[in-house]
Formats: sequence, C-alpha cells, structure tokens
Amino acid sequence: MDEDIILDFQHITKRFPGIVALDDVSFQVRRGEIHGLCGENGAGKSTLMKILSGVYPYGDYEGNIIYDGQELKLEGSAIHQAAQEGIAIVYQELTLVPGMTVGENIFLGREPVEYGAILWDRVYADTQKILNEYKMNVHPQEIVRNLGVGKMQMTEIAKALSENAKVLILDEPTSALSEAEVSQLMEILETLKSHGVTCIYITHKLEEFFRITDRVTVLRDGKVVTTQETSNLTSEKLVHYMVGREMKERFPKGNRQPGEVIFEVNDLHALDPDKGREVLKGVSFDVRKGEILGIAGLMGSGRTELVMTIFGEYGKITRGTLKLSGREIIIHNGHEAMQYGISLVPEDRKQHGLVLISSILKNITLPNLDRFSSFMRVNQDLELSESMAFAKDLAIKAPNLFVPVESLSGGNQQKVVIAKWLMSKPQILIMDDPTRGVDVGAKYEIYKLMNELAERGISIIMISSDLQEVLGMSDRVMVMCKGSSNGTLDIAEATQERIMALATGIA
Amino acid sequence: MDISTFGQKARKDGDSHKTTALSQQRRNIQTYIIIILLIAIWGIFAIATKGGYLSSQNISNLFRQMTVTSLLAAGMVLVMVIGGIDLSVGKLAGFVSVVVALFQRDIWIQIIPNQPILAAALSVVVGLFVGALFGIFQAYIIAYLRVPAFIVTLGGQFILNGGILLVTAGKTIAANQPGFSDIAQGYLPKSAGWVLAAVVIAALFVLMFQDRRAKARFGFAPKPIYQGISRTVFFSVLVLLYVFIVNQYKGVQIPVLILGMTVIVMSYISTNTRFGRYAYALGGNREAARLSGINIKKQTFLIFVLMGVLCGLAGVVLASYVGYGTIAAGAGYELDAIASCVLGGTSTLGGSGTIFGAMVGALIMTSLNTGLQMMNVAPAWQYVLRGAVLVLAVVIDVYFKKSN
Repeated sequence: MDEDIILDFQHITKRFPGIVALDDVSFQVRRGEIHGLCGENGAGKSTLMKILSGVYPYGDYEGNIIYDGQELKLEGSAIHQAAQEGIAIVYQELTLVPGMTVGENIFLGREPVEYGAILWDRVYADTQKILNEYKMNVHPQEIVRNLGVGKMQMTEIAKALSENAKVLILDEPTSALSEAEVSQLMEILETLKSHGVTCIYITHKLEEFFRITDRVTVLRDGKVVTTQETSNLTSEKLVHYMVGREMKERFPKGNRQPGEVIFEVNDLHALDPDKGREVLKGVSFDVRKGEILGIAGLMGSGRTELVMTIFGEYGKITRGTLKLSGREIIIHNGHEAMQYGISLVPEDRKQHGLVLISSILKNITLPNLDRFSSFMRVNQDLELSESMAFAKDLAIKAPNLFVPVESLSGGNQQKVVIAKWLMSKPQILIMDDPTRGVDVGAKYEIYKLMNELAERGISIIMISSDLQEVLGMSDRVMVMCKGSSNGTLDIAEATQERIMALATGIA
Repeated sequence: MDISTFGQKARKDGDSHKTTALSQQRRNIQTYIIIILLIAIWGIFAIATKGGYLSSQNISNLFRQMTVTSLLAAGMVLVMVIGGIDLSVGKLAGFVSVVVALFQRDIWIQIIPNQPILAAALSVVVGLFVGALFGIFQAYIIAYLRVPAFIVTLGGQFILNGGILLVTAGKTIAANQPGFSDIAQGYLPKSAGWVLAAVVIAALFVLMFQDRRAKARFGFAPKPIYQGISRTVFFSVLVLLYVFIVNQYKGVQIPVLILGMTVIVMSYISTNTRFGRYAYALGGNREAARLSGINIKKQTFLIFVLMGVLCGLAGVVLASYVGYGTIAAGAGYELDAIASCVLGGTSTLGGSGTIFGAMVGALIMTSLNTGLQMMNVAPAWQYVLRGAVLVLAVVIDVYFKKSN
C-alpha cells in the first residue's frame, strides 16, 4: 500500500534533568487522517506535541521529524516558525483575548492593513468565509467572552485554519465541552478531514478515539507501545496498552448500603449573583447517608450553579428549602456550609480549588486551619503530620508536601483538592466534575476513594459530564434540564438514553 | 465508622519530609541575592569613603534612619501579598506626625504639665489611634464597597495632604520635647544593650530546643542537632556584633528596638497565624480562598487597618526623629516602602513576599541614601542610582527565576 505520510517521527528522544520524557519515539501520521494520541498523564504526549509545535526547538531533542517530505528544523523563534510551516496547536487552556471579537482574535497579529489602517471589513468578511467553509456557527463580531467554551474552541480552530494549518493538534479539546458541543466538534473534525487537514487528537476520553480517529498511537512512559487502525481496537485493549496491565473494569465496584435520607432540597429557586436572572427554577432532590448521587445534565443546565448555591457562594435563594437531617438550614457562605458538614470540590481546580503557587501542605489545610490553631498560633507541626497522613492515604505523588501544587500532574492536583475537603470531615461531599482532565489511572483511584468514602457513611453528590461515569459510580441519578430537576432515576433503571431524554427535556 | 478515623493509619509511620523543595531553594536564592547586593553596596561605600562608611557612628545612624520606611514596608508587604497597594502610607505617617506634634506642643502642656514620659506615651496612643481610624475609613471602602485600593488610597493621599495643611496651617510645629524625643533619638544604656543581647540569644536557644521537641512529639525525624545549633550560633553572633558596634557609639537605638519588635510581631503574624496564612491564600487565588470558607472582605479590611496602625507608629517615630511636624512630612515615603518590598521579593501580583525580605530591601534603600550623601553625590544622581539599583535587582531576580 502506498501511504501518503505527512509526518514521520524518527527516533525522537527528549531528556530532562533526571528523566527521559521521550525514549526513541517513532511513528507516522498519514495525510488527512485523524490520528489519536493516547497515554496516561506523564506518558510523553505533551512533550512530543511541544516538540512538534516548536516549544522545544530543533537541537533540544534527538532524532528527526520528516514533515511533508522534508526534515523539520524549528529554530530561533520556533513557535512562530511552526505556525508558518502549517503546524498549529489548540491548547487545553484556550489562548484567546476575551475582550476582543471573534474576528479580531482570528486575525490578531496579522490584521490586513492599508495605509496603516486596519481593514476591518476585510477582517470580518474573511472570518465569515472561514467559519462558513468549516460549518462553524459563530458570529464574527461576537465578543469572545460572551461565547460558550465550545464556540471559543471553534474560534481557536478557525484561527489555526486561517493560518493555513495543514496539521492541527488538538490537546484534550472536549474536557470542558457538553455532549452537544462534543458532537459539533466531531462534525467540524469530519469537515476538516474532507478538506484534507491532518489532525492529531489527544484525549483522556477513550470513547472519542472510537468515535473520530482513524488510527491511534499509544504512548507509555515515553515509549511508543503501538500504532493501530482504530477499527482493530477495543477500549479494553486500549486501556491495556496504556497502563500495561489488564484493567478489568473502569469503575471499581463499591459495597455500600445507603441509609436514611440526610439532605433534602425542595423546590429551590435562585438568582445569579450579577444580573439577577433566575438560574435555578425549581430543583428538588434528596441524598441518603452513604450514597453517591450523580447529577447529570447538559452544560448550562444549572448543575454547577445548583451546588454553588447550596454551598452558599452563588446567587440569592428566592424560594425553596434545604433540610439537613430533617432540620431546615440556611447557608449564607462557604464557611457556614462547612460548619454544617457540607464541602465542595469545585469544578475548575485551577481557578477555584487551588492556590497554585502555594505548597501542597498549605492548600490542604487552607479551609481547615481552625483545627490546628488558636487565635495566636497555627500549630505547624500538627498541621504537617495530619496533612502527611491524608497525602499518604490519597497516594498523592510528590517529593514532599512543600512543593507548589502547580508542579503536580492534573490527577495529583485533584487529589490535593479532595484531601483539602476530606480534612474538613464532611457529612456531605459535593464533587463538581471530579475527574475532569485526569488520566485513566488516577481516575480509577479517585473512583475507589469515592466508594471508600461512601462506605464510611459520607454522602457524595457528584456532578459529571461523562455519562459513563455517572452510570458507573452513582446509586441514583438526578437529571437537570434548563435550571430545574427533571427527575431522579434509580441506577437499575438508568441508561444513557433515558438520561439524555431527561436532560434534553424530551421526557 | 466515620471520617475521623480516615488518615489515621498512615499517621504513625511518620516519615520525614525533606525540605529540599525547589520552591524553597528558589526563595532562598532570592534572599541570598538581596543579601549579597546589600553586602556589595556596603563594600563599595566602605572603599569609596575609606572605611568611614562602616564607622560605628554611621552604622548606628543608618539603622536609625531606616526605621520609618521599614515600619511602613512591614505593613505594605501584607497589603501587597493580598494583591493590593497603599499609596497613602507616606502622607498618613506625615499626618500622624503633625497631629502628634500638635499634641506635644499645645495640648499635653495644658492637661498634664511637667510629665514628659506620660505625655510621650499618650502621644504614641494618639498616633496609633489616628492611624487606625484613617485605616478603618479606607479599609471599609476598599473591602466592603469594593473600590480598588489604588484609587481609594490615591484619594486618601490627597485628603491627608489637605489634612496636613489644615493641622499645621502651613507652619512648622515643634516636637522636640524631652521624653518624646527619646522615641526616635534615644539610646539604651550600654549595659542594658548587653543584657538585651543576652536575653535575645537565650530566647533563640530556647525556641530552637522547643521546636525540636515539638517536631519529635509529632514523630518527625529530627534534623541533626549541629544544624540547629550552628544556625542559632550564627544569629547569636550577629546580635552580639550589632550590639558591640552600636555600643561603640551611643548604644542600642530605641527606634531600632521598636522596629525590631514590630518586625518580630509582623513576621509571626504572617507565618504563624491563620490571619497571615489567609492573606497569602487570598493573594494567591482569591476564588479558591473564598470557596475555602475564608471571609475575604473581613480579611482585606483587617489588612488595611493593620497598615493604618503601622502608619500611626511610623508617624510618631517620624515626628520624634525630625523633631517637628511640617507640611512636607512623609512625602514620597510610600514609594520607598513599595520599593523596599519589591527589592525584598514581594510580588506585585500578590501571593508572595516576606517581612524579612522587605526589611533587607529597606536597608538597601537606606544604605544607598546615606552612602551617596556621604560621598557628596548630587541629589539628582542619587535618585538616578536608587532607581537603577531597584530595577537592576528585579532584573537579576527575574533572570535567576528563569534559569531555574
């Protein structure tokens, strides 16, 4: 078979002080295919993509990259050069200027100019052309800040395409997208493929490989394990390649018997904090002791707003009641919520969960300093010894507790957030998308931990965008639709179809 | 079974975590850089003045001179750590100084004549009170009405400038009464200086052994004893050396004593209390701090009130130091304080900074001042050089951080 190879990685080795991040990596990417890149955090995916996009310039690594028949040598201002060569990367964290329009962002730094004045009509006309060509439903004059994550990502992809990208690298593009937005992205990728654009697709969501990719390369510990046609693979095989061991189940079995109802929410209505718009329009559910209650729903259905409101750190409650152990409670802020034994692992750990420049120790104990402190003094020895116990139980991988959390991997950062809230000894632990951006191995550990906590009698309310996760972990599933609760399903009767029907308001 | 047993099983293992973290090293490098810079500056001036710069008289005056800026910098560190700024501190200290001068000259004489010590003590109370009051006023607007600190304190600077003109009516107010003058111009008797040194050294050793005992109680493997002892001995020698030098002149300076106590208290607050820890968390990530149950408004309020109190103290020392209250009192001190913090490694973005660093920063700024004056450098060039050193120090720091 005569293959049209656009990218040929030949014996790429990249060393950092103390570790070999990439060890003799060789594989090929065909022109116009969607090539999945799969591996646990730390397997070397990001390092490889940083080499390809010029973050690590030529000479910083060993081996060759043959791109479109020629050796790729990105030197000097290598990132810029990579873009000129037609290699573009869409990062996990988007890199748009929020206060500018879609058009301004797409042409940022390359604005068409005549006599020193920017031709704005041309900017917007060209933007519209690109958006039309790839069937992206975004308005060129919309301010980026007002777009949802999905459309921001489209803008970012459009930006890369406007620079004549031949190879597009997508690094976890769906980690913040709702199911509907993921479908849209998949359609766009199909369109790109039909236009002959090559994609390298990185994700932690295994099902996406089967949904979109033609071939998958699996990396483990900096080495290529295999490159295969996706049609020859199964999830089990893929996981096996990734972790190097057989993983029988994605979701560990718990052994728990939920008790009586401990927490009830009745007909909750609430406004958002800024505009006074009603975001919760009647939410009712209850949680039993030692139960894991999944909350499913599309992006924008009010899931995060619901838990933030319960935690006392969102908008004003206009109607409805919260009952804890049968007694009605009113929570004004997070401090009070914690005193009632309600803790929240927030959605975005970097923005809401962690002080990135602070140490693991200081992050874990931040909400819990009361336990080690008198008015005059924080007992730092007690603080350290308690924190070490939690770090050990949660298997946080770090040289010690004094390293800043920004140096940890996503999974370990998430464990720090969980440790922080476990130390507050909650009765009810709310977890908002607890495994977002976390690799398979660490996900499994977090699931095991959740089971263990529920067995100890803690009630867990888990929000998740991953339906399989909801089905795999919950005892019951409450589904939200447009700001209200649209029904609670027992796990025995819950299926993806029934949940989606409730979430979209069909049922 | 409940959550309280969670985390117990690993507790007993008690493995010792080494404090060789990268961030630790980085922070140490930063501290070393400014200390090396300080020593370099002293060395250059010592050579340029043929040793005159290092005379006991000059050293004694140098430390005395840095007190007002340092008191302001000690508060500014925490303000900057929470991501704020306070542009009013110079004028607030100036305002306090003229108010206190007014009390010294006109009021105490009528109420409590012939009681200079009591009058001086009451002046301190008045100064702290005025500083705190204005601090509360600004802090309320910043924390609860959510107006940016930059704007509020810029406005505060104007208001205080007007206040100074009102109090002084454009004239100078004498504040050179006996008793009050001692606050910034007095010295401990030389024997008392040695006693003080002995007490400090004893305290250093007691603290070291207490710390070891506490560590042992929680099952941490103790560090080798010689490490603790050599550290403590090193600091003890510094204390002895300092007392020896200043005793060659007039003795331990009272304002430096006031500064020393303030620095100890502020360092303790910033590292060993919840209040201090929350400040760093707030500056590092406001949202994470809020969701951790920290009352952000209250925390911000208290930091700015504390800043006001320190301005009050600085104002009293200022009045006593110059001996009168004038319309120019405290002008530009806020910039010296901010420069000291930045030199000492405080981030302008919030989240990091130490009191100790800011003190070294203040010492550098003051050392430049006095040294250039001794060398009779023209005032214009003094400004240029001070600005250059500030920027250079930060450039070096940024460079080192990058190469790490």
